[in-house]
Amino acid sequence: MTAPITPPLVRMQSLHKSYGPAIQVLKGLDIEMQPGERLVVIGPSGGGKSTLLRVMMGLEKIDRGSIMFGGKPYISSDGLDKKTKIDTEVRRSIGMVFQHYTLFPHLNVVENLILAPCKVRKERKSDATERAVGLLTRFGLAGKAKAYPSQLSGGQKQRVAIARALMLDPKLMLFDEVTSALDPELVAEVEQVILQLAAQKMPMMIVTHDMWFAKNIASRVIFCAGGVVVEDGPPEQVLGSPKEERTRDFIDRVFHIRQ
Amino acid sequence: MALDFSIILRFQDALLLGLWMTLKLTLICVILGCTFGFLVGLARTSRSLALRAISSVYVEFFRGTPVLIQLFWIFFCLPMILGIELSNLASGVIALTLYMGAITSETFRASLKSVGPEQLDACIALGLPRRNQVTNVILPQAVLRAIPTLLSNCVSLFKESALVSAVGMADLMFVGQNISNNTARPVEVLTIVALIYFVIAFPLTRAVSLIERRILAKLAI
Ligand SMILES: Nc1ncnc2c1ncn2[C@@H]1O[C@H](COP(=O)(O)OP(=O)(O)O)[C@@H](O)[C@H]1O
Ligand SMILES: [Mg+2]
Repeated sequence: MTAPITPPLVRMQSLHKSYGPAIQVLKGLDIEMQPGERLVVIGPSGGGKSTLLRVMMGLEKIDRGSIMFGGKPYISSDGLDKKTKIDTEVRRSIGMVFQHYTLFPHLNVVENLILAPCKVRKERKSDATERAVGLLTRFGLAGKAKAYPSQLSGGQKQRVAIARALMLDPKLMLFDEVTSALDPELVAEVEQVILQLAAQKMPMMIVTHDMWFAKNIASRVIFCAGGVVVEDGPPEQVLGSPKEERTRDFIDRVFHIRQ
Repeated sequence: MALDFSIILRFQDALLLGLWMTLKLTLICVILGCTFGFLVGLARTSRSLALRAISSVYVEFFRGTPVLIQLFWIFFCLPMILGIELSNLASGVIALTLYMGAITSETFRASLKSVGPEQLDACIALGLPRRNQVTNVILPQAVLRAIPTLLSNCVSLFKESALVSAVGMADLMFVGQNISNNTARPVEVLTIVALIYFVIAFPLTRAVSLIERRILAKLAI
């Protein structure tokens, strides 16, 4: 085995996470992600996929384990003093899009996009607005700059949410079932935007139940169930001819619904 | 005895003066009460147990006792405790501000709670500092959501302010009672006084539902 020349983008080691003593959600995850990889996480509902992404985003404390990001310590907890150390500087280089949009309803589209750049990076309002309009145009939302979230369709909201995250030039994007709340005819427009990002080599971690999308976006697929990684490999393997029994069962079920 | 509303015209000036006092008192207490209520609302959602306990006791006490008794308390007991003379206006302002603070703090508390945790998630994912999470995301939404109920609170205060007449403040109610005693025509006089209250309160209550619909439409995600 030869050591990789660049450090992995993400290295999760022995991640443990529970919600209270009764609900053990992550039971010792070890996941490594190389720069340029697009990792699709699939698995049964309640299997901890959202928790995994939320931990990666620094939204949840962990019980034990650590995450390195770009070779730097990002999150760690030794399990002794119940404290989770999160490097907020590192956290700023990660962006996340949620299932339920979570736009700021009192701000219009451009204001949603420029709030963080202006407050976090002290970018000038005019500069940020210019970048925002550029991104919106790229995502087919040029006419919606002044609209409020309540005036947008689900697909438009989700594209705005993606644009908002991109305003901060993230080095990794997390997508948690971003099309699950959408009407079927709106799914494609959101997936197209993410595929566009993939074409530009944006590293991402994606949780999805859409097998067509998973096949088209993934460079690698992980099947998570019961708080552990059951299978990990290229999409042709995990989605096409899985080695593990449990993966096969799951894929069969999901494909039957899809086809 | 036939009803004769024309007698009111003779007391127009006195009624206007009374109305002016009522409006002045209401306005002052709306401003002071909302400000105080906002701070108390924050205290009730704060992490400090002591702050939460003190503010809860205050709110529950003022919401759970008759305003009239609160007024008597402030008018007669507070000067004794403090050992200073309080003018009628000052006592009225203190009493109604404390009342308004208690009810608006509930309004603010509910609206603060109505801003969902996913909004905070979004803030953290965007790396917004704590200060901006509060001032740019949580507070604006909470205040927007609070506006309709705050307007209702203002209408309540406007009506409840009539109680200060009981401790001798020359507000609209006090003037009305005086006139009705002197003319022995309580039906006409008090009906007119009620109408004056109504003419001011009614548009406000209508505005509440209009504004509520617009705000809810905007904040619906
Ligand atoms: N905030 C929470 N408090 C308590 N339990 C939670 C919380 N969030 C998730 N869970 C539980 O953790 C488990 C994993 O949830 P989740 O990560 O959302 O799974 P998935 O996204 O794969 O459906 C579920 O059993 C869920 O009920
Ligand atoms: Mg989930």
